[in-house]
Amino acid sequence: MGDNKPLQRTAVKTSQKHRILIAKPGLDGHDRGAKYVAHILRDAGFEVIYTGIRRTPEQIVDAAIQEDVQGIGLSLLSGAHNVLFQRVLELLRDQQAEDIVVFGGGTIPPSDIAKLKEIGVAEIFTPGTPAREIVETLHTLLDERAAVFA
Amino acid sequence: MDTLLNSNRIDAAHKCWNDGLLAKTLAKFPEQRQQFVTASGHPVERLYKPEEGSEGNYVEQLGFPGEYPFTRGVQPTMYRGRYWTMRQYAGFATAEESNQRYKYLLEQGTTGLSVAFDLPTQIGYDSDDPISAGEVGKVGVAIDSLADMEALFAGIPLDKVSTSMTINSTAAILLAMYIVVAEKQGVTPEKLNGTIQNDILKEYIARGTYRFPPGPSLRLTSDIFAYCTEHVPNWNTISISGYHIREAGSTAAQEIGFTLANAICYINTALKAGLKIDDFAPRLAFFFAAHSDLFEEVAKFRAARRLYASIMKNRFEATNPKSQMLRFHTQTGGVTLTAQQPDNNVVRVTLQALAAVLGGTQSLHTNSKDEALALPTEESVTVALRTQQVIAYESGVTNTIDPLAGSYFVEQLTDDIEREANEIILEIENRGGMVAAIEQGYVQDQIEQSAYRFGQSIDSGERTIVGVNKFVSKEPLAMNLFQVSDTIAQRQIESVRRVRAERDQARTTAALEALRQAAAGHDNLMPLILEAVRAYATVGEICSTLGALFGDYTESN
Amino acid sequence: MAVSIEKLVKQIQEGGPLSCRAAARLMTILTDEPQRLVELLAGSQHWPQPSLVLGVTGAPGSGKSTLVDHLAIDYRLRYPDKKIGIIAVDPSSPFTGGAILGDRVRMMRHSTDPNIFIRSLASRGHLGGLTLGVRGIVRVMGLLGCDVVFIETVGVGQSEVEIAKSADTVLIVLAPGQGDSVQLLKAGLMEAGDLFVVNKGDRPEALQLRQQLLMTLRTASLATSDHHWGHQDPANQSSELPNVYVCSAAHHEGIEAITSELQRLTEHKSSEWQTKRQAHALAEIRQAVFEEVQRRVEGIIGSNGTGEANLRTILDGSKSLKCFVDDLLQRSNTTSQANIGNTEFSVTAEDNGYLVKQ
Repeated sequence: MGDNKPLQRTAVKTSQKHRILIAKPGLDGHDRGAKYVAHILRDAGFEVIYTGIRRTPEQIVDAAIQEDVQGIGLSLLSGAHNVLFQRVLELLRDQQAEDIVVFGGGTIPPSDIAKLKEIGVAEIFTPGTPAREIVETLHTLLDERAAVFA
Repeated sequence: MDTLLNSNRIDAAHKCWNDGLLAKTLAKFPEQRQQFVTASGHPVERLYKPEEGSEGNYVEQLGFPGEYPFTRGVQPTMYRGRYWTMRQYAGFATAEESNQRYKYLLEQGTTGLSVAFDLPTQIGYDSDDPISAGEVGKVGVAIDSLADMEALFAGIPLDKVSTSMTINSTAAILLAMYIVVAEKQGVTPEKLNGTIQNDILKEYIARGTYRFPPGPSLRLTSDIFAYCTEHVPNWNTISISGYHIREAGSTAAQEIGFTLANAICYINTALKAGLKIDDFAPRLAFFFAAHSDLFEEVAKFRAARRLYASIMKNRFEATNPKSQMLRFHTQTGGVTLTAQQPDNNVVRVTLQALAAVLGGTQSLHTNSKDEALALPTEESVTVALRTQQVIAYESGVTNTIDPLAGSYFVEQLTDDIEREANEIILEIENRGGMVAAIEQGYVQDQIEQSAYRFGQSIDSGERTIVGVNKFVSKEPLAMNLFQVSDTIAQRQIESVRRVRAERDQARTTAALEALRQAAAGHDNLMPLILEAVRAYATVGEICSTLGALFGDYTESN
Repeated sequence: MAVSIEKLVKQIQEGGPLSCRAAARLMTILTDEPQRLVELLAGSQHWPQPSLVLGVTGAPGSGKSTLVDHLAIDYRLRYPDKKIGIIAVDPSSPFTGGAILGDRVRMMRHSTDPNIFIRSLASRGHLGGLTLGVRGIVRVMGLLGCDVVFIETVGVGQSEVEIAKSADTVLIVLAPGQGDSVQLLKAGLMEAGDLFVVNKGDRPEALQLRQQLLMTLRTASLATSDHHWGHQDPANQSSELPNVYVCSAAHHEGIEAITSELQRLTEHKSSEWQTKRQAHALAEIRQAVFEEVQRRVEGIIGSNGTGEANLRTILDGSKSLKCFVDDLLQRSNTTSQANIGNTEFSVTAEDNGYLVKQ
């Protein structure tokens, strides 16, 4: 596009927005936590794409790719997290989209939190985590992501 | 309390106190907060006085226990006659494991079973369906076919226990299995006692285990009503549940308002199907949550009874007192449990259980302290059950009926919650009834907004949750947690495949085909589902047969 | 390092598993930096374009997403090989700038359909940028091979109507039981509508709403001949009244008729729409040219103190305006080379995502 360069403007400071997908994988219908996190992220200036309940890992990853989100938040209270979170991570790898930060929340015992972090989940927010902490942690994670993939 | 004169004397004394002692005290020692509110955000005054209560029309508003309007309870002797049913919700992994837990609970003095099914069973997928990945045996027991149900109740005499089953979109199938297992034990259906939740509307609103769209789902509900009226007369055919609405974030008044609006929808459906109100209404049961705001919860239960009685009597013209009675099961509030300092949950559960008992519940499940983290261990389930037993046998609150009646505060709250709930019911009707309100997303939005406000009040520190946003301790959690192994799924998958290989396939196919044809018409589907179950058709097969005609519902809000 | 739009375009054109990701990334650039649309337009003359870009708008709760969901189902059934793009615009919070984009909830069934690409968009409070962003996404969807693109917006504000208007044709959804539906028509939505759909047609009040709508449209058409509104826009001069359809999107009833009409319009109006799109593209380029000229001229005049001193030469009469501008343009010619060097884009976090790292 070299010929057209004169038409370009010096980049203004872009209105960079954090885009996050909040998703409910599996068959669990408890969406109070997911919706609340969506709300507090909106309040913190994020753009949040919400998937609704009972989504497959395939649907979630495809949506994340199309929406070009920087992070995926998975909420699950049914105990299926080990299987489903892992599946989401695998699918992201298949799509060469490991740069997307995956975090989670729900009824997740501490021993599983360690395991999930080992396989690549960036953070797990258990019930009762203050909104401010969630927002700050996400900002840090997304900044780190930006630095790594710079 | 009588006369106007009396009330004037109180007013005068109140003014004197207000302007004198109180004013002086407030000037010196301001109160902790500008405004006090209940857990649901309802304002709480400093003091409630006689004229704000309802003594003036005691007979109309409160009456006597066991009589209209049932504000003070549905039985004339309440717990002096018999304690509530202590019913602990349990189920996990495979039928064999859950069967062991039920036997343990019965040995420990639990008086009714409450079956938790895993999500695939609740939504109608078999354990080997790819969509069930990760969920098999997790939040409850996996039931694929009659074979699993036989194992679940092996050695438990079904004419001796009452069994409650948390099952909704697939309620007809699981009830059919229960009936057939009983038959095989030699127990006829009319001897069966228990409840199926069978409340599909709140699944669209708050809980999410729907399978079919509202229309066909309500047809199944009606079919169950009709079948049980005739064949399983002691079965509670529905447990209309505010519990999950509250869990999703509603206020106390919304819990009652939306739940009774759901009840109205079910009743209208049954009436439209040709049933008579006094034939089926006595079998309608309710299920509510108990949270920690003790007085608000007690008032809520009382308000629910009074409002329902009036709806049944005045709107539906039910004449049988049993049709006018709101009988309910209570569960302590799952969302109030904290992952932080889990021992505190024992105290929360105690307060909540007390609220349920003071509110006149018919049966109660107390949550275990570890449930914000995982399914409960046997040890923590025992403590939860013991909590109920201490309230029943040691606290003395059961010695008199409706002990908080006449408290100026509780009576005022009862009136307020009843009024607010009634306004919610009217709003739903203005929107064209519950199904329309759900399709508009109205109910879901209202609950979401309440949940958001509640969350904000915690995040802002305006509301204190001990151990979460105040009195926080950093000690790491030292606790044994119960976990269902992911290997359970493999066992269950093999077992359902074995059932499919070994059954009389011709009979299964014929039963499913007959069901398909009946579903396209208007016949009661229960007998056909019973036959499919007897032929060892799986939950998934029955649901996909019905789903091919009914369609699958997806979240649209 | 600048993100090369060119490189992303190439990745999309090559197809393959990563083309989706490249397209999504390109869409992000075009919405974060709408002014870069012109980079995309340059050289896009022969790219594949959708045959239909449909704006779908209406009051909140009228069932727009559900209708789009079901239109997509019907299109997929009829034309199994055609790709569909869906752009769903939701408002940003004016207070926090954040947004919850929930339209996808109703369309998740298409999530794993390789022939459907859905993109949610927050309005971000600035009309011009949003309109450019939407047009950019439409171009990218064309590049992905989308034959039909639906742009769904909430028809409450002028901005949403504007976005819808940048489509080839506009479908307006109304539903019974919403007092604001007719209000919306009065508020100017009607002029934007080429096609009207009364959704939730299973409700008893639906037919009444249809009658009301037809009446309003007839009155308005009289107004057309009386007051000549829209005379500047040839598309609006057509004497035929917009069609009104009744459907029940949630039950997939009445959808086929709408699809057929859309298909008919697509065949009849394709050249008209081409002209309209061309005009939009030229307008965008013109706008970009003006902005570029302004930027360079400002560079020469200088900012702040220097700039003021330069302009003062006109004020004190030492230079005439004409002379000043002649001089400016001359200097602009000689300095343009140097300026190009400065037009590189700043590096942003987003730009350095995985795809462009290579």
